[in-house]
Amino acid sequence: MAPEKLTPAPVPVEERLFSLVLALLATETGLTKNEILSTVQGYRQRYRSGGDNASLERQFERDKDDIRELGVPLETLESPGDPGNNQQLRYRIPRTAYELPADIAFSAAETTLLNLAAMAWREGSLSRESRRALLKLRSTGVETTEPVLGYAPRIRTRDSAFEPLSTALARRVSARFLYLKPGDPAARMRTVAPLALVQHQGRWHLKATDLDLDEPRTFLLSRISGAVTLGRKPLDLPAADYAALALAELDAIWDANVAELEVQNGTDAQLRLSRRRGAEDAGDGRIRLHFTDTALLADELAGFGPEVRVLGPAQLVESVVDRLRAVSAAHRDTASGTTAPGTTSPGIEQEAR
Amino acid sequence: MADSGQSFSYAQDKLTFLLALVPYLVDIGRVSVSDAAAHFQVSEQQIRDAVSLIAVSGVPGETFQYQHGDLFDIAWDDFDEHDEIVITHRVALDDSPRFSAREAAALIAGLQYLQSLPENIDRGVYSSLMDKLARGASERPSQVAIARQGATGSLAEVRDALARGVQLEFDYLASRGTREHRTVDPLRIDSDDESWYLRAWDHRRGAVRTFRFDRLSALVVTDRPASSAHDDVRLGDLVFQGGDDDLIVTVEVDPAAVGLLGEYLSQVDEAPDAQTGAHGRVRAHIRVAHIHGLKRLVTSNASSLTVVGPPEARAAVADWADAALRRYLE
Repeated sequence: MAPEKLTPAPVPVEERLFSLVLALLATETGLTKNEILSTVQGYRQRYRSGGDNASLERQFERDKDDIRELGVPLETLESPGDPGNNQQLRYRIPRTAYELPADIAFSAAETTLLNLAAMAWREGSLSRESRRALLKLRSTGVETTEPVLGYAPRIRTRDSAFEPLSTALARRVSARFLYLKPGDPAARMRTVAPLALVQHQGRWHLKATDLDLDEPRTFLLSRISGAVTLGRKPLDLPAADYAALALAELDAIWDANVAELEVQNGTDAQLRLSRRRGAEDAGDGRIRLHFTDTALLADELAGFGPEVRVLGPAQLVESVVDRLRAVSAAHRDTASGTTAPGTTSPGIEQEAR
Repeated sequence: MADSGQSFSYAQDKLTFLLALVPYLVDIGRVSVSDAAAHFQVSEQQIRDAVSLIAVSGVPGETFQYQHGDLFDIAWDDFDEHDEIVITHRVALDDSPRFSAREAAALIAGLQYLQSLPENIDRGVYSSLMDKLARGASERPSQVAIARQGATGSLAEVRDALARGVQLEFDYLASRGTREHRTVDPLRIDSDDESWYLRAWDHRRGAVRTFRFDRLSALVVTDRPASSAHDDVRLGDLVFQGGDDDLIVTVEVDPAAVGLLGEYLSQVDEAPDAQTGAHGRVRAHIRVAHIHGLKRLVTSNASSLTVVGPPEARAAVADWADAALRRYLE
């Protein structure tokens, strides 16, 4: 949007937003859009009495969204005598819904934990949200304590889909994205109603309802490619603890899947894999490991090279061998004349890619 | 800390700061600019700017004219001459704002993550705290959750050594496959999702080193005090610690997978012609301490990462994959 050149000293955005919140908190009966635009600091300077205020109205719409995103409960009231008339809608912020309930107080020990929790998000998608939450916490006057010394925890959100999907969750709108399921030849467009974002085994998953199939699905964020587009209309989603549900489902899959590995003694693989949660020493240099996703585990195991031989299940063996062959082929210069042993390996079919 | 505090680049964050600052100032009655800055971990200038803005803000009022009584007011002499803040008249705002759905969700998920720490914190503390956050949000917190991790082996012992300021000894398995005995002064425990690291001063090397917890064994918490000489060493975020003998390797990587290179990444070549590489990949240069880490990284990212050069790096990766394939021929 082109900036308005009419006002000599534009009012800073935060001053306009602050004035809007103050004005809407102060009113019991609510203010109409016209009253807001013509009187509230930051709008009134640009308001043209009797003229075209279309760009100012659009500004107001964006400001409302911005304020609501901060957890400010901006309410609209229909005029009783004239329902459905947009010009007569009244806006206000009910005080009780705005203010932190008086009985909520945080002790110094709790604040220490919350500081550390916020620190874990210091980079990536929810870092601004955590910083804002800490500002609100400090607003209550609670003693600021430094994070527990000696820890620097960090939660990663490397998947670019995390940010738009967490926005979709907060706005309760649908999301569309290209998803490449392992084994599928190409990514397919999915339209879903997001229900929860959960991190399990260090990976972010989206629990959602696939709106085309009307069935629940869980997506791995790292398999979403390209942009995520969000719907506009809020969806009607029944309240439930979807996050806990998603984690329980993933745990059940993790429980049911067992890989059997042979690891070389004294290697990185032996040391690290045997220390995984739920890892079982099966004797004779064998380890049993639970897992949720064949392709992800195959990636990891391939990285250990000759330190690991996968004994089962067959699909995991195949996936690992596939990866090793692909790496060998991509890095063996044909001119050198050596043939990768994998290419002559019998019995294991090359999976179509 | 206070003067190098956070700054806000977004209007939304600046607004949150204003809405948080007013109830604090009202409640405390009188406070110095420096104390307020320390409390909010912002610069003194940010406090002064915010107070100056608050002091001229208010509501349109009955006259819609922002009359004097419709505005905040402060004790200007105290502010101008003594750098102290006293709000003498306030409008509209009384109490601290609620958390947004996402703000509450971020802290709740952060707490879930912290439950893996070997601190002696009752589970009840976490759940009552999460409950408070949920009740203090203006909407039901967004559904974001992090699974509880299993206990990380020696975390509790290292934490103990760190708290008591004593040296640690352990065997460390380097990625090249060698096992070495190390004596260190522990400095900090870092984590990165499910990976845990010890940042410590390595006695033999006379430098700060990063150790993966799952590569530590035969850990001994000694009685020897750790030197405090390294307490001031600035530990940045977990980064790959480069050395002079680092290898610069050119790779082709799927743009979506660049993040996987994480700590290794030193520079992504953004030249347009690099974008036209095979399968829409970009070329990047990564620093690795030795070939052993590289071969593991590449074989665990078979579909998204290929080494372009130097030739010895390509050969090392191919040899690693071939050695692994040979095991399936046995």
